[in-house]
Amino acid sequence: MKFELFSQAELLQIHEATVEILKRVGIHTTSPRFKVLLMDHGCQEQGDRIVFTEDVIAKALKTVPASFKLYGRKDSHVLEIGQKRAYCQTCVGTPSMMDLETGEKRDATVEDLEEYTRLADALDYVNIISPIFPRDVPQEIILTIETATLLRNTSKPLSICVESARELPYILELLHLAAGGEEALHAKPIATIPVSPLSPLEYGFDPAEALLDVVEAGLPLGVEPCPMMGSTGPMTLIGTVAQHNAEILAGVIAAQLLKPGAPLTMSSRATFMDMRSGVGLWAMPEMGLAGAAMNQLGSYYNIPVAPGGYCGASKVADAQSGYEHLYNAMMEALVGSDIIGSAGSLDNALTSCYAMLVMDNEISSVVQRTIKGVEVDEDKLAVDVVAEVIASHGNFLAHKHTRKYLRAGELWVPPLGDRQTFEKWAINSEKVEDKARRIAKELIATHQVLPLSPEVEAEFDKVIARARHIEMGE
Amino acid sequence: MRFDFLSEQEVEQVHQATLAILKQIGIHTTSPRFKSLLLNSGCLEQGDRIVFPAEVVEKALSTAPKEFKVYGRDDSRVLEFGKSKAYTQTCVGTPSVMDLDSGEKRDVQLKDLEDYVRLADALEFIDVVSPIFPRDVPQEVIVSAETVAMLRNTTKPLRICAESSHEMKYIVEILAAVVGGKEVLMDRPLAYIEVSPLSPLEYGFDPAEALMDIVEAGLPLGVIPCPMMGSTGPMTLIGCVAQHNAEILAGVVASQLLKPGSPVIMSPRVTFMDMRSGVGLWAMPEMGMAAAASIQLARYYGIPSTATGYSGTSKLADAQSGYEHLYNALMPALIGTDVLAAAGSLDNVLTSCFAMLVMDNELSSVVQRTIKGTEVSEEKLAVDVIAEVIETHENFLAHKHTRKYLRAGELWNPPLSDRQTFEKWAVKGEKIEEKARLKAKELLASHQVEPLSAEVDAELKQILQRAQEHAQHGGGVIQKT
Amino acid sequence: MSNFNELAESVISGNFGRVKEITQEMINKGVEPLQIINDGLIAGMNVVGVRFKAEDMFVPEVMMSAKAMAGGMELVKPLIAETEMPSVGTVVLGTVKGDLHDIGKSLVAMILESGGFKVINLGTDIAPEGFIKAIREHKPQIVGMSALLTTTMLNMKATIELLKEEGLRDQVKVIIGGAPVSQSFAEEIGADGYGSDAMVAKDLCIKLVGKAS
Ligand code: B12
Repeated sequence: MKFELFSQAELLQIHEATVEILKRVGIHTTSPRFKVLLMDHGCQEQGDRIVFTEDVIAKALKTVPASFKLYGRKDSHVLEIGQKRAYCQTCVGTPSMMDLETGEKRDATVEDLEEYTRLADALDYVNIISPIFPRDVPQEIILTIETATLLRNTSKPLSICVESARELPYILELLHLAAGGEEALHAKPIATIPVSPLSPLEYGFDPAEALLDVVEAGLPLGVEPCPMMGSTGPMTLIGTVAQHNAEILAGVIAAQLLKPGAPLTMSSRATFMDMRSGVGLWAMPEMGLAGAAMNQLGSYYNIPVAPGGYCGASKVADAQSGYEHLYNAMMEALVGSDIIGSAGSLDNALTSCYAMLVMDNEISSVVQRTIKGVEVDEDKLAVDVVAEVIASHGNFLAHKHTRKYLRAGELWVPPLGDRQTFEKWAINSEKVEDKARRIAKELIATHQVLPLSPEVEAEFDKVIARARHIEMGE
Repeated sequence: MRFDFLSEQEVEQVHQATLAILKQIGIHTTSPRFKSLLLNSGCLEQGDRIVFPAEVVEKALSTAPKEFKVYGRDDSRVLEFGKSKAYTQTCVGTPSVMDLDSGEKRDVQLKDLEDYVRLADALEFIDVVSPIFPRDVPQEVIVSAETVAMLRNTTKPLRICAESSHEMKYIVEILAAVVGGKEVLMDRPLAYIEVSPLSPLEYGFDPAEALMDIVEAGLPLGVIPCPMMGSTGPMTLIGCVAQHNAEILAGVVASQLLKPGSPVIMSPRVTFMDMRSGVGLWAMPEMGMAAAASIQLARYYGIPSTATGYSGTSKLADAQSGYEHLYNALMPALIGTDVLAAAGSLDNVLTSCFAMLVMDNELSSVVQRTIKGTEVSEEKLAVDVIAEVIETHENFLAHKHTRKYLRAGELWNPPLSDRQTFEKWAVKGEKIEEKARLKAKELLASHQVEPLSAEVDAELKQILQRAQEHAQHGGGVIQKT
Repeated sequence: MSNFNELAESVISGNFGRVKEITQEMINKGVEPLQIINDGLIAGMNVVGVRFKAEDMFVPEVMMSAKAMAGGMELVKPLIAETEMPSVGTVVLGTVKGDLHDIGKSLVAMILESGGFKVINLGTDIAPEGFIKAIREHKPQIVGMSALLTTTMLNMKATIELLKEEGLRDQVKVIIGGAPVSQSFAEEIGADGYGSDAMVAKDLCIKLVGKAS
């Protein structure tokens, strides 16, 4: 299976535009460390900007690993980033939550973070967990608390986004504890850490420093700016893609210059705006199209990609969310995506929703099934089977070929969707959203997460206490 | 943009398997006319079956037209087959409808057919109209009655399904009356007509005869069998696609043998079954993946195609319908099909739903936007614009490039979706399904269709009457023994 | 006896050859034929019924089990009088005139067989006269009609009318099914029952023969 949004010539044209942006416009940064790193390796100062040369670009792109592995606390959770498996990742950082009982939007709490993480842990086709942002914890140490909460409530791989390098030491400490030491974490990273520079092409102090620290810590990095068509990027989709590509490559290059071979993903998030109302949109089709375009560029460079996809503008888990999330994720996955983020989100990634996460688990399942494609071989083409069934005036149901492939999993089994007869369905007349909500409640009530050892738990408490002390003066 | 569900080599493999099926297994038919057509043109008898030598197939494939047009009553509504435009067609034949007021499922009435067609006429991204099947018209002349009802309520092109040849004569008369004669109808077909042979590889009397009548009438023919994986076709998706391709090609070949160059459409519909419950499914992903594979074969032959499209197994317009319909439509659309069918359907094409049609209109819009692709040009890449904005410490919002492309339609404009802020949305707190239902009501209350002329309308009435009289004298489906 | 267990297990796993083998061995050893049927063949099939209802088995597997059971039955049959054969009942089944849809009807046939019914599957496009002829020939307790088209479902009514005319209506229960058919339609045309799927059809038939006998 192969899906190309662009011809090779078009792809080259976009790449050349990107190179031109890096050469002519370059980036701006307020981090001296970041600046020095780039200048030392051949980038040039031009006014207040740093521009890249073709040599630096070519050299850095050469050392990016085409694949790496991401692990969970549990051994069975191994993700092969680089193999285009379209792993599904929960949405990071939504400030709000759809209350599971009332269905009303409200502030996210740490209890939500616990339950939501546990729910994600229970869902088979959600592969990477990112934190929602609780409001009822001290915001000075929010990332530390999130990381601890995630590790306590899931054994799956994590994606922790850092706005600054300030809390990074605590995060690393927690990860070391959970993984069984610094060495162990290096050998088997259990988290990827994305950082977000500003668009257009602005590596502010915090993200620039964080980027360098993440790479130094040896954890897989995500470079995740978030331009908006017509506002912080050009109004043309392809123009925003070229700019976005340039700002991501700038980070990729910095990472490689710092540590050749450092694992990372191009985590594209090209968004747009409803120009009538000014609402920022993570909707279809632009979000999916831009994500797909960025994925094709990632393949061209042989760099793993991790766009946002399970997202839309709808405010509730309804039909619109259903098709928006499917659209964005499918377009990206068909081109080839390693990770697809934003699962469980509503309202342009502003709200997380338990029911939506259960629905996205279903969509992720079908997306992951789709990209496996179908195998074409003689036994599966089954010409002889057709001949036999017709010659015997029989029925395919009775042929052993049917039982064989049925048991071999030829048909997808929906984790959520209803497929009964109308009559059976009508007994409860349950909409899929309601079923999703019911399943979410059941799973939260019953699902058990692989616990941390009591010793590690105790160490976690100490790390948090220390963070409190240092960051909050307590 | 290019989507290959199968590699070139895999397409060749499936094509070879198809030829092997046609050559070794062939088809069975109970129509003597169909049989002699095939045998007189190089096919061979083998026991009770008719097999197709590869040369016969290849030759027929070479005469099938790559492009043709189907017209609406309104000149501006033209379907260009062969251009992979992913037109959207309403679902044919659902016996039930979701009542727009009560939201309950019930039998389709003539009034529903009229309303549904009028709604389809009003929706911008619904391009082809097909009938749902009303229970309160004389069932002996149902297809004729449907055709008249559709022509009165839309000016868009039609897709008619002929279960037998009994009514063909009247259908052609009705269409001819509207365009101004049978000759004109050949030049400006107002409809394409599809027939369904049985799977596996069985051309029963009725579909075989209907197929030939349609070709003779000069109307574009659709060949639309409907195998079910593991039941009337192999359990493997690709095996079912190969058999299906063979049964469709058999019809394509027959059409070309009868009249080389006659317009023909490959309409693959590989369905499957929930093997735990036995429910027949038009769901994702098998439906969409099989359609992608089959449409890729049609693309390989250069023959226009249709696929289903906007279908799923959900029982109402909910999130499941949303993602199922989009999935099944997107897969064949990306390969490059001409028509995506089943818009507005629920419950494995058993029920039509006004709200779902409004939702599918939205999906059709985004699918059609998607396959247009994204143009790559220097001006659109906008390197200079980026440089200027950064240099001036400005914002893209203020740049004229932004205004220009905004006006030029760079952003998709959703016909239905909600995209307000949460606060504005929360004033009503309306789910999209509800919004769709209200929109359907509004359109039905306000949308006017250009009426047929009084003379034509009278003529249609007469034809219907004749059809019914004929049926009552033993010519109809029911009485025929 | 463990042999019955093995026989039942072989029915459950749809092992046609093994079922025939064990059945033949038992016959050779002089095991009571009715016991072979009740404790082996039907016992196995009953488990299949339960597992299928619990969605633990696939349709084609149920079919294999039914086939395997039938294989055993065939060997035992000659040894017992026709009247002693434990059959739940006989059902004549067909798709009505003008209608070629047969997947659903065949599935119903298969599930009924797996439930111990003797099924006479007439095929598709069966005119009212065809049903009458089959009823006279096979003397079923139940006649089942399938229709998938709104046009052809009217032929169900025509068949019931003809049953009345021919004086057969009291001798059989009439059940109907197929996607456009409904309970209310069944009542309207005077059928005795409607089944929305194959499992419902089986339960319906069991209920009807219970009443009939
Ligand atoms: C497969 C199919 C075909 C195949 C049939 C192949 C075959 N060997 O059977 C083909 C392609 C040949 C075909 C042809 C046509 N079809 Co067709 N077909 C279908 C389809 C997709 C699935 C039917 C099916 O097999 N389902 C799976 C089985 C397992 O389910 P089932 O049949 O419902 O049976 C279950 C229950 O209903 C119940 N049941 C069934 N029978 C009985 C009997 C009793 C006694 C009981 C108790 C229970 C019971 O138990 C079964 C098992 O659980 C349906 C749509 C749908 N979703 O149903 C359209 C559908 C029935 N067809 C339709 C149409 C329009 C046609 C054609 C007219 C199309 C054409 N262009 O020519 C022709 C008519 C041919 C004819 N004269 O019969 C329409 C019906 C329209 C209407 N309102 O009447 C449908 C609804 C699709 C649509 N929306 O257009 N079709």
